[in-house]
Amino acid sequence: MRAATQLTAAGRAVAVRIGINQVRFTAVHAVGLVTLLSGIMSFLVISQATRELGRIGATDLIGTLIVVAIVRELGPLMTALVVAGRSGTAIAAELATNQVLGEVRALEGMGIDPKQYLVLPRFAGSLISMFTLLVVFDLVAVLAGYGAASLNGMNGGRYFEIVLASLSYKDVWLTVLKAFAFGFIVGVVPSYFGLTVRRAPTEIPIAASRAVVSAIVGIFLCSALFVALG
Amino acid sequence: MTTPHAPRPLVFEQVPLGRGASQSFTLEIPAHHTVAVLGDEDSGLGALGSYAMGLDRPPAGRALTFETDVGALPERERLAFRRRVGYLPAGEGLLQNLSLRDNIALPLRFGSGASPKEIDGRVNVMLAAVRLSGAGQLRPAQANEEERRRAALARAIAFDPSLLVLEQPFDGLTARVASELLELARGGESAEGARRTLFITGQEIPPLLLRRVERVYRLTRAGALEPETV
Repeated sequence: MRAATQLTAAGRAVAVRIGINQVRFTAVHAVGLVTLLSGIMSFLVISQATRELGRIGATDLIGTLIVVAIVRELGPLMTALVVAGRSGTAIAAELATNQVLGEVRALEGMGIDPKQYLVLPRFAGSLISMFTLLVVFDLVAVLAGYGAASLNGMNGGRYFEIVLASLSYKDVWLTVLKAFAFGFIVGVVPSYFGLTVRRAPTEIPIAASRAVVSAIVGIFLCSALFVALG
Repeated sequence: MTTPHAPRPLVFEQVPLGRGASQSFTLEIPAHHTVAVLGDEDSGLGALGSYAMGLDRPPAGRALTFETDVGALPERERLAFRRRVGYLPAGEGLLQNLSLRDNIALPLRFGSGASPKEIDGRVNVMLAAVRLSGAGQLRPAQANEEERRRAALARAIAFDPSLLVLEQPFDGLTARVASELLELARGGESAEGARRTLFITGQEIPPLLLRRVERVYRLTRAGALEPETV
C-alpha cells in the first residue's frame, strides 16, 4: 500500500497498465476454464443431488448444497487453484527471469523500487482477477445447477427460490473475503519466490514450482482457517 | 572547476576486491574526469559499480558516492539518491518486455514528476541524441548489441546526472561506436567543467579511446590497483 502511494503520476500510469495486463492474463484468459470447471462440477453435483435427495423428499437441501458447498467453499477454492496454477506459475517465472537477466538490479540502479514496478501491479491484478473469476464461477455454478435441476424434473422457479432462501449475507461477505485472501496469496507468494532467485536460469523452474506448491498449500490452509473460524 | 566544498563524486576507501584479494585499494574519481578500472573477469571488478551505486556493500572499507555511503541509506532515500547517478550495468539491464523507447522513459516515469507529454519530449530528444530515433519501438531482443548499448546509455543519462557509472560499456562494440558513446556519456567536447564524471569498469578499453580517459588503472589479482600508462 505504501509503495502505491509513493508512485508518481506517470509511474502510476505504468503500474496501472501492467495491472490491466495482469488482469487480462489472469482473469479474462481464464474465464473459459473457470466456466467449464464450474459448469461441469455444479451440473454433476446438482444432478446427483436432485435424484438422491428427491427419493427422500429433501430437495430443499439443494439450496444449501449450492450455497454452502459450491458458492462458499468449492467456488473460492477451485478458482484460487486455477489462478495459482496458471498465473502463480507465470508470475514466479516472470519475476525470476527479471532477476536472472539483471533487470531487477537495473531497476534498483535507476532508483525504481522493484516492488512498485514488478510486484504491486501483479498483486493488484491478482486481487481483482480472483474476485472477478469467483463471481463468474459462482454465477455459472448457480446457472448450471438450475439446468441440472430442471433436467431432473425440478421446477426452475422452485430452484431459485430454495437457492435464494439458503443464501445469507454471511455467505456473501465470507465469499468476498475469501476471494481477497486467496488473491493476496496468489499475488504475494509467487512474487516472493520469483524475486528470491539469484542469478542462474536453472533456478527459474524451481522457483515457479515452489511458488505454485506454496500458494496451493497456503490456499488450502487459509480455506481451512475460514471454516474453523466461520 | 570544482569548488573547494563540492562533494567528491566517487571514492573507494580500503576496498578489497575478489576472492583471492590480499590487498585493498583506495581510489578517488575527481569531478569531470573519466577514470577507467580494467581487470580480468575473475578479479572481482564487476562489484565496483554495485558498490558505487549502493546495490552491494563492500566486505570492508567503504564506497562513497557524493560523500554518501549509498548502501547505508534507508531504502527510500537510497532509491532517490540513485537517481542522481547514471548507471549502465553490465549486460545493459534493459527490460525485455519493453521497447527501447519505454526503457529510456522508465526512470523518468517513476523518478520525475514530469507529465507524460514532457517525458515523451525528453525521450524523443534522448533517442535522437543516441541515434535511435528509428529503432525506438524495437524490443531489446529485436535490437542489435549496438542499439541496446545506445538505449542503455540513454537511459543512464535520462536525468542528466553529473556522475556516470558504466560497467563494460564498450564490450562487443567497434572502436568508432565506442568512441561515439564515450562522447555522449561525457556530455560532449565542451569546456572541461561541463563534462560528466565517468567511472568505467571493464576488461579492456579500445586503444582509440585511451587518450580521452584521464586515468586508467588495472586491477591485479592480489586486489591492488596499478596505474596504466595512457
